[in-house]
Amino acid sequence: MLQIRMHGRGGQGAQMAAQILATAFFREGKYVQAFATYGGARRGTAVSSFLRIADRPIRLRCDIEDPDAILCFDASLLEDKLLKGATEKTLILVNSTMPPEAFKEFDSLKIFTVDGKSIAGRNGLGRIVNSALLGAFAGLLGAPAFQNLQSVVEEMSPVKVKENVSSCLEGYELARTIKGVA
Amino acid sequence: MISKPTAMLLTGNHAVSYGAMLARPKVIPIYPITPQTPIAEKLTELQLSGALEAETMTPESEHSAMAACITASLAGVRVFTATASQGLMLMHEMLHYASGARAPIVMANVNRTIGSPWGFWPDQTDSLAQRDTGWIHYYTESAQESLDTVLQAYRTAEQVSLPAMVIHEAFYVSHSLEVVEVPSHAMVDSYLPPFTPEIMLDPSINRSWGNVVNQEMFWRHRKYLGEAMEQTLEVAAKADAQWKELTGRGYELVEAYRCADAEVIIVTMGSMAGTTREAVDMMRARGLAAGLLKVRLFRPFPVQKLQSLLKGVPRVMIMDRNFSPGLGGVLHQEVKAALYGMKKAPPLYGYLVGVGGLNVSPALIEKLVRRTLREKAEINSIWVGE
Repeated sequence: MLQIRMHGRGGQGAQMAAQILATAFFREGKYVQAFATYGGARRGTAVSSFLRIADRPIRLRCDIEDPDAILCFDASLLEDKLLKGATEKTLILVNSTMPPEAFKEFDSLKIFTVDGKSIAGRNGLGRIVNSALLGAFAGLLGAPAFQNLQSVVEEMSPVKVKENVSSCLEGYELARTIKGVA
Repeated sequence: MISKPTAMLLTGNHAVSYGAMLARPKVIPIYPITPQTPIAEKLTELQLSGALEAETMTPESEHSAMAACITASLAGVRVFTATASQGLMLMHEMLHYASGARAPIVMANVNRTIGSPWGFWPDQTDSLAQRDTGWIHYYTESAQESLDTVLQAYRTAEQVSLPAMVIHEAFYVSHSLEVVEVPSHAMVDSYLPPFTPEIMLDPSINRSWGNVVNQEMFWRHRKYLGEAMEQTLEVAAKADAQWKELTGRGYELVEAYRCADAEVIIVTMGSMAGTTREAVDMMRARGLAAGLLKVRLFRPFPVQKLQSLLKGVPRVMIMDRNFSPGLGGVLHQEVKAALYGMKKAPPLYGYLVGVGGLNVSPALIEKLVRRTLREKAEINSIWVGE
């Protein structure tokens, strides 16, 4: 079972990102479970979403305490609480303009960064970063296959479908060039 | 129209909406509240698309929503509604009225902490506080089970003329997106016949409900309600067996999972049953003989079933994601009462775990099992957390 946590702020699309990723894995024949917890549907408050992917039905109904991967939408959320349960094996992707070296206080962890805002901006999405981050995250994970992710992004984007797909692809290709990625 | 069973990715709440749609209700009075709102949203979406032919109403409060449910049900149509937490609290008066009127309404409740203080977290105290309202109470652990149980609830409620509540927890079930098999309309139609009550209200037949009664009439009415509850045990078991025959999915009223030769049996309800299944497998793999007893039907409480399943078990621990101040975990108290005076009754360990939505992991469950094996049983429920 692959266990993923996503952390963001209300309105950034962390919940939608988990649902898109879950749908793409579902199309690849996997059992999935995606859920989010939040303190009221409000912009700006911390939102955590959880995603499990497995080859058999998923029975666990609890938070993910030992994630295989973490996607952090907002570097200001990056602190010990967010990283709880992460080990040197956990793949951590942070949305930030800074290089991974900027996070050396967490130097025992495997942190990658991607500048989601620049990618979104270049692709005509303004500050809507979730498609770019999703692409990069899938690139780092090596799954799901990009064409599966693309078809789900196309179906689930409420507006700017073309822009979301190109932003997702740019994130994905960028991640594939990062050294040490599977 | 769903023509064949279809695997879909649905949240627990949307699965409830699909279940309700398949039951073909005619009236849906519903008031939005976090974390129930996606149920209402999906129902109106299905209605707009033409898949659901029902009158949806948004009265000014949950109290009025339930009042509308009662009157519509007494007028002889199938009714559905859903709520959560504060909304259920506001309905409380009308819940009693609904069972008294013997209206077989089906309602989904999404468990959420009750204020104050304010919160949105999974905690079963809201629905457990409705224990004595005369409703049938089902607790479910997955989106699939919630969909299936809405249909079983109609099948049961309409045979015994009692309202039924299908209850799942916030987030862990309500907002959990997962693979759900949605049955076809034809399958559901073959399982759930149209609602055609013998007695109904209609201005043309000059019948009414709600007049003042004397003591004997009230006494008799309550006694009949109790008899209907007793009958429910058999009717609900049969409804589950028939659903299993049709779809391959049955849940039983109390499910025993790997309980044979168990040193410790864990009794719980709702989402924690799913996590406990995983924990039981992990412990069994390490040679620790644990089992799960999932209470799916909480009212009527399956006393005899629990007695036969727990008789002679070395130790039984109860996990409550709820709290009745001044007494402890509600399920703990109910199990205690159910087993009182029984020969070879097991020692009971009650844990207040997951209260307020605290996370309950397989590791925590294993820790509690090991504690149970080590310590002496206590009469009070024990707080677990921090």
